[in-house]
Amino acid sequence: MSEQSETRELTPAKAPVAMPEWLHSLLGTLLAISIALLGGAVIAIMVGESPFHVFMTLLRGAFGGPDRIAGSLLQSTPIIISGIAACIAFRGGLFNIGVEGQLYMGGFAAAWVGFSFVLPAPLHLTLGIAAAIAAGALWILIPAFFRARYGTNEVVSTILSNYVAILLTSYFTIFVFKRPGGWSETAPISTTAELPQLFEFSRLNWGLFIGVALAVGLHMFLTRTTAGYSMCAMGSNPKFAEYGGVPIRRNVFLILLCSGAVGGLAGGVETLGVHHRFMEGFAPGFGFDGVIAALLANGHPILTIFTALFFGALRAGSLLMEVETNASRELITVVQAFIILAVSAQLLVRRRRDSQAGERRWKY
Amino acid sequence: MEVLGDIFNLALIAATLRTTAPILLVALGGTFTTKAGIFNIGLEGQMLIAAFFAVLGSIWTSSAIGGVLIGMMAAMIFAGTFSLLVVTLRANEVVVGLALNILAGGLTISLTKAIFGTRGSIVNPDIVGFAPVNIPIIDDIPGLDRVLSGYTPLVYLAFILVFVVWIIFYRTRLGLHIRVTGEKPEAAEALGINPNTMQHIASLMCGALAGIAGAHLSLGYITMFAENMSAGRGFMAVAVLIFSNGDPVKVLLGCLLFGFSDAMALRLQTFGFPSYLVLTVPYIVTLAALFMLTYRQRPKIIRETLESMSLVRRQEP
Repeated sequence: MSEQSETRELTPAKAPVAMPEWLHSLLGTLLAISIALLGGAVIAIMVGESPFHVFMTLLRGAFGGPDRIAGSLLQSTPIIISGIAACIAFRGGLFNIGVEGQLYMGGFAAAWVGFSFVLPAPLHLTLGIAAAIAAGALWILIPAFFRARYGTNEVVSTILSNYVAILLTSYFTIFVFKRPGGWSETAPISTTAELPQLFEFSRLNWGLFIGVALAVGLHMFLTRTTAGYSMCAMGSNPKFAEYGGVPIRRNVFLILLCSGAVGGLAGGVETLGVHHRFMEGFAPGFGFDGVIAALLANGHPILTIFTALFFGALRAGSLLMEVETNASRELITVVQAFIILAVSAQLLVRRRRDSQAGERRWKY
Repeated sequence: MEVLGDIFNLALIAATLRTTAPILLVALGGTFTTKAGIFNIGLEGQMLIAAFFAVLGSIWTSSAIGGVLIGMMAAMIFAGTFSLLVVTLRANEVVVGLALNILAGGLTISLTKAIFGTRGSIVNPDIVGFAPVNIPIIDDIPGLDRVLSGYTPLVYLAFILVFVVWIIFYRTRLGLHIRVTGEKPEAAEALGINPNTMQHIASLMCGALAGIAGAHLSLGYITMFAENMSAGRGFMAVAVLIFSNGDPVKVLLGCLLFGFSDAMALRLQTFGFPSYLVLTVPYIVTLAALFMLTYRQRPKIIRETLESMSLVRRQEP
């Protein structure tokens, strides 16, 4: 039985059918977004607002003027980077739902380097970013080790470590490094560690380009290198990949570690580029948004940039929406959830081929 | 030493049983999906949406039972959506579960704002909660009265359900069919059981119990709803289900461990330990248990592989 299904899976993987596949997934995504917006409209009516008014306010909040557009890009930056973190895991057939926690640890580590050392500018910034990357990787180290060595479910272990990360960084912020007179925030980082801003009128910074560069880099890695190929092979069919000589355990460990490192970077960019300090709850839900953006993009790094931009715009728009209408900004969370549900349902078109009970597998 | 005596006393046991109840209820719900072969990460969301609708139902019907029933219905709608997408439409169970969790979080906050006009929490004098129930005979025995009596009804229900669920799995046809579906779907089909139907039933039963768990959060000891009040208990339940493999007795043991660490954390807080550190304890205990127990299960797998290898070798000559 299993042999049959595997040979069936092999045939489409061999044929280079890049373009139609890509178009298919784009059309499916657009369809899903329209279904989700319809769901959002229903909620808007329940709140007693005209869906059209809510929608226009959302649009105005996201794109009404250069500062608003910069605001949308600012919100998108951490989502792009955490989206790439999630992509790395997805493409290797793994789930890193702990991006949120890695983001918090990375953000805190970067801020710590920023306010405790006195160094010249380029070195200080580099060290801050390196600290963020290391903290993110460290935070997924134990779940990654146990997933690689003993097959411990990484979905649950990474989710649970989110809670620990958020509480732990709060503890350090409030009890150890609290700025005297401040409200649950650390001392500001020194200007030598700051990630330069792009414009005078916005806190938008170089982090956006880091995110885009990461996405392009990951795309090149996956499509142009042998290591990237073996990673994709692992993600789409681990048994076949192992048969073909891919060291599964070592790769699982490395993939999760890289994913965690990028998750940490997302937090570092946020503290060094935007807040210039660590604050309790400084990045609510960016990690989760990144995971959803990667899911919506079906694990494609370049598409993830666009889904993250979409979610960032939604976020920026929701801030104005909350001020001007009765709807709370969590309305967009509902829309996001509907989108993912609709996308997962449209996979009906391409049925999951593996046996239903046993293995869970990110389909490709 | 005196401090240790203050920490470890009968009140701690009582607190443990109390904090175990919600995790136990949701984990018992998860046994159905686990046994039916579905990895259900959506327990968290089902619990949260039920906690919200239990408060709403309690206000609408002016009764705690009404609240529980409406909370259960809400959770079952989520469970039904989950199984519709995962079983019928063959969507990825992790993706759907996560999306439903996110939906529950967003929906409860949006609806709180829509219905009550507040952000963050619902505190309302019209919410009818459960009153503690004292058991007459046990109340007369000193010592035992503090440990076994005076809980809200749902706590008793949680522990009774351990036996009920065990009986369902090992003494009824339905339980057998659910187990066969999870272990060998091909065998189930050969027996004339529709695995899809069984998985839908299991998911709905799971939703019902997760609904009771959610209702216990918002109508049990505190009668209010707060945003994200399930606080990862659904995920802890999933961890318990992974290393208990859905066996109700092992689920009970695992949940007692987490209930104990939860109660310990609350206790330590009153002794002046920083709340942020203390609150990490239940999560760290869960993670440690998850890692240790999967580590211990490993040798078994290696032995099986060795056995199958020696079988192969014997066939060679």
